[in-house]
Amino acid sequence: MRRRILPALVACTALCIPALAWSATAPADAIKYRKAVMEAMSAHVGAFMLLNFGKVEHEGHLKAHTAALADLAAQAKVLFPAGTDTGDTDALPLIWKEQEQFNKLLTDLETSAGKLRLAVQSSDKPGTMAAFKQVGEACKGCHDRYRKADD
Amino acid sequence: MAASAGLALWPGQAGAADRAASVERGRYLVQAGGCLTCHTADRPDATPLAGGRALETPFGTFYSPNLTPDRATGLGGWSDADLGRALREGVAPDGSYYYPVFPYPAYTGLADADVAAIAAYLRSLKPVRQATPDHELPWYLSSRLVMFGWNLLNFSAGRFVPDGARGAAWNRGAYLVRHLGHCGECHTPRNSLGGLNGSRELAGNPAGPDGEKIPDITQHRDTGIGRWSADEIVMFLEYGVLPDGDFAGSSMSDVISDNTSRLTPEDRQAIATYLKSL
Repeated sequence: MRRRILPALVACTALCIPALAWSATAPADAIKYRKAVMEAMSAHVGAFMLLNFGKVEHEGHLKAHTAALADLAAQAKVLFPAGTDTGDTDALPLIWKEQEQFNKLLTDLETSAGKLRLAVQSSDKPGTMAAFKQVGEACKGCHDRYRKADD
Repeated sequence: MAASAGLALWPGQAGAADRAASVERGRYLVQAGGCLTCHTADRPDATPLAGGRALETPFGTFYSPNLTPDRATGLGGWSDADLGRALREGVAPDGSYYYPVFPYPAYTGLADADVAAIAAYLRSLKPVRQATPDHELPWYLSSRLVMFGWNLLNFSAGRFVPDGARGAAWNRGAYLVRHLGHCGECHTPRNSLGGLNGSRELAGNPAGPDGEKIPDITQHRDTGIGRWSADEIVMFLEYGVLPDGDFAGSSMSDVISDNTSRLTPEDRQAIATYLKSL
């Protein structure tokens, strides 16, 4: 009997703690976090432009910003949990109705931001601009369909 | 045999090369004129320029016509003069008036050579048989004759005249912004009749197409883009990226994809030069 309880406890702990942690995130906090990450990504892009066009020069910063952007982009899918379609958010409910199409755009973002990081790491200027264009396409494509227009 | 007979119809190699150059130039102008965005239906498999997009306005829903050279449903058989009159005067070959959802009040400034190139390009397209649905309009607009009166109040025809006191880039930018690119159609506020308020050029439109709020793009530092550098304007037109690193969504995203990102770097720079002067 005791031998069965222990694995059951272990399994329960392993399964339940993340589930509990998940359910403990209030939708309002998930939305705040999403906004914070979106603003962080946009700030990295803003900094990227200033550096890339030679308006400011700081050794290593271009790599830092594009690496951070790629890391955040690769983890962007978790920013849209169910139940965060209402409240203080510009994310449109259509996101949760078109999950497949929406996730495809996030995959495009991950891929293009990854290419941007690599191009910057290898000092490939044309590759950098081409990848940046693709990052833009992914961002615009998503904002166009899934973000509330300014009002 | 067929090939040589066909060749005999052309007035020589130089003529064919000119025609090809004109078609290519027309393709560029059609992009810079934003024709694709409205004249392509809003579905993934839509044929470019075959029309059918629903344009919702405060005056009703308009459906963009088919610009491919199909005789029954498109522009098949139109002469350069027909296209020039449509673009610059808002009048169809049968004498009927277009509604100003079609930006002829902006296109009126187009140069003759540009109209001819656009005509050559449109004629080079594959004809697509695709009928355009009828506009859905309130009773008081159902007669196109109403537009005769509207034109008297809100429209003055006239080619673009370069300003000799300004440089070439400024003049090119003015031509692109005011006429070919018709930026004011969305960015300039309208009066109650839907005419553009010329004294508030590009100052934004709180009730733009599809109910969107269209931003002020004058040099006003608080409400407009006065804090943007010319480089930032160029970057925005090419990549859709705002100076703070955000990316434009909404209707401007289509304008960037279909139009401004495909312009030459010189033309984007010219637009920035013009906008910085406002």
